[in-house]
Amino acid sequence: MTATLQKKICMLGGFSVGKTSLVKRYVQSVFSETYLTTVGVKIDKKTVDLSDRIVNLILWDLAGEDDIASLRMSYLRGSAGYVLVADGTRPSTLEVALSLRRRVEVDFGPLPFVLLLNKNDLREQWAVGEEEVEDLRRSGWWVQPTSARTGEGVEDAFRALAVRVAH
Amino acid sequence: MEGLPATVAEQLQAFTYSERAVAYLQLDAALTLVGAGGHLDAYGLTDLRLGEPAAEQAFFLEGLLPPVGTPYFVPSMELASGRAADLHFLLHDDTLWVVLLDVSAERDAARRMQQKAYDMTLAQEREAQLNRQLSASNAALLATQRELEASREALVRAHDQVQAQAAELAVWNKTLEERVAAQLVEIEQMARLKRFFAPTLAELIVSSGNERILESHRRDIAVLFCDLRGFTAFAERAEPEEVMALLHDYHAALVPLIQTFEGTLDRFVGDGLIVYFNDPLPCPNPAERAVSLAVAMRSAVAALAQTWRRRDYQVGFGIGVAQGFATLGQIGFEGRFDYSAIGTVINTAARLCEAAKDGQILITSRIAAAVAEVADVREIGQLTFKGLSRSLAVCNVEALKVA
Repeated sequence: MTATLQKKICMLGGFSVGKTSLVKRYVQSVFSETYLTTVGVKIDKKTVDLSDRIVNLILWDLAGEDDIASLRMSYLRGSAGYVLVADGTRPSTLEVALSLRRRVEVDFGPLPFVLLLNKNDLREQWAVGEEEVEDLRRSGWWVQPTSARTGEGVEDAFRALAVRVAH
Repeated sequence: MEGLPATVAEQLQAFTYSERAVAYLQLDAALTLVGAGGHLDAYGLTDLRLGEPAAEQAFFLEGLLPPVGTPYFVPSMELASGRAADLHFLLHDDTLWVVLLDVSAERDAARRMQQKAYDMTLAQEREAQLNRQLSASNAALLATQRELEASREALVRAHDQVQAQAAELAVWNKTLEERVAAQLVEIEQMARLKRFFAPTLAELIVSSGNERILESHRRDIAVLFCDLRGFTAFAERAEPEEVMALLHDYHAALVPLIQTFEGTLDRFVGDGLIVYFNDPLPCPNPAERAVSLAVAMRSAVAALAQTWRRRDYQVGFGIGVAQGFATLGQIGFEGRFDYSAIGTVINTAARLCEAAKDGQILITSRIAAAVAEVADVREIGQLTFKGLSRSLAVCNVEALKVA
C-alpha cells in the first residue's frame, strides 16, 4: 500500500501577484480574469501521486501583504515548505518576495521553497531584470517562470516542491 | 455572560450558535477525532469518522496541531465550502475543542474595502509605470530629435561647404577662363608677332604687354636686303615644284639665322628678304648685327648653292645693307596687318642688293664705318642708283674679323 503524506504549503507574496490564481490553476485547472483579493487565508487541497508515495498538499493561500510587518506569521506555523510568488511585470513584488523569504527564514528556519515569477504570458510588459533573476539562481534559488493564465510552469513547480517536502 | 440574566445569556448563546454557524470538533490527546457537532455541513465537514486522526479529515488543521497553547486563534480561514471561519482552539479536561465561527460576512466586508484599496494601488502603480514608460519614450524621442537636429545641422554644414566649394570652383573657373582667354590673346599676339620678329623679341613684346611699340614711329635702323641672282631666269626654266623646293630650302636656311641675330623680318618678296635691326626693340650695334647676319646668310646660301649647282641651277646670292631713319609700324587694315618700314634707307638697301654680284655684301660707307672693327671691307667706289639722287660710296664685306 502506498503511503500517504499530508504537507502544509503556504503561498506567500505581495497582493495581486496571482497566488490564488496559481492555486486555482493547479487545483481546479481553471483561470479567472476577475481579481478577487484574499482575506485571511484560503485553504485548498491537492493530491499529488509521486509513485512511491501520495502527498496531500494542503495549500494555504495567504492574503497578499505588501507591508511585511502585517503578515500573520501564525499562519505559517507547521508549514513543510512555501511558494514565493512575484509578478514579473511589477518589480516591486520581487522585493516583497525577497523580504518575505528573509522573514520566514528568521522565524521558521530554512524550509523548501520555490520562487514563481508569475504572469509570464505578459512578456511585453516584463519588468523584472534578467540579471537580478540570474543572480538569485546563482545563489541557489529555484526560480520558475509561470503563468496562471496559460498554466505554464505551474504543475511542474508544485510537483517539484511536493517532491522536496515529501522526502 | 457574567451579569447577564440566565435567559438573556441563553438567548444570546442561541443567537450566536445560529448566526455564527458554530461547529466544533473534539480531539483527544492523541489528536484523534472523538466528537463533533454544530453546523458541520456549513464548512463541508461531512462523513467525519470518530476515532481517526482529526487532521486527515479536517485537513485545514494540518500544521496547527497540537496548538502551541490554548486558547489559540486562527482568524478568517476560507474553507473549501467557500465559507470563512475563525478557528478557536480551546482545551478542556484533556480534550481539545476546535470551534469554528462563521466570519464570511466580515470577510466579505473586509474584502470589499481591501479590494478597493488594492485596485487603487494597482491603478497608481500602473499609472506610475505608464508614466515611466512615457518618460522613457519622451527621452528616446528627445534623443532621436537631437540626433535628427545634429544630422540636419551636419547636413546644412555639408551643404554650405559644398556651396562654398562650388563658389570657389566658380571663381577658379572664371580665373581659368580669364587665363585661357589671356593666353589665347597672347598666343594670337605671339603668332602675329612671330611673323615679323625673332621669337625672343615676339615673347618680349607680348610679356611687356605693350603693343604700342607697333604703332607708327620713326627710328634709325639698319636694313638688310637680300635676294637670289638669276632667280627669275631659273623660275622661267624650272618646274614650279623645283622653284618652290628651292625657295623652301632658301628660306629654311635664312629665317633661323634672322632669328639668331634677332633681326626683324619685314617680309618675303619672292626670293627677296628685308630685315631690320634696332626696331621694334632697340638693340646695340644694329649695323654690326646686320653685317654679321649678312655674312652668315652668305655662308648658308653658299652651302646651298653647291647642291643647286649639281642640279644645274644657275642661281647666285647678293646682299645690300644700309642704315638710316625710316618710318615703321603696322601697315594694313583689320585682319591683314604687316609690320613694315618706309624710307630711303629701304630703297638704298634694295639698290645695293640689286647691285651686288653673287656672294657680295654691299654696304654704305656709314655701315662700313660702323663695322670697321669687326669686319674686313673693301671699297667698291661711288655708285649711282636708280631712284637715288646722290651717288653712294659702296663697300663689300669680305669677311668678319676673327675675334
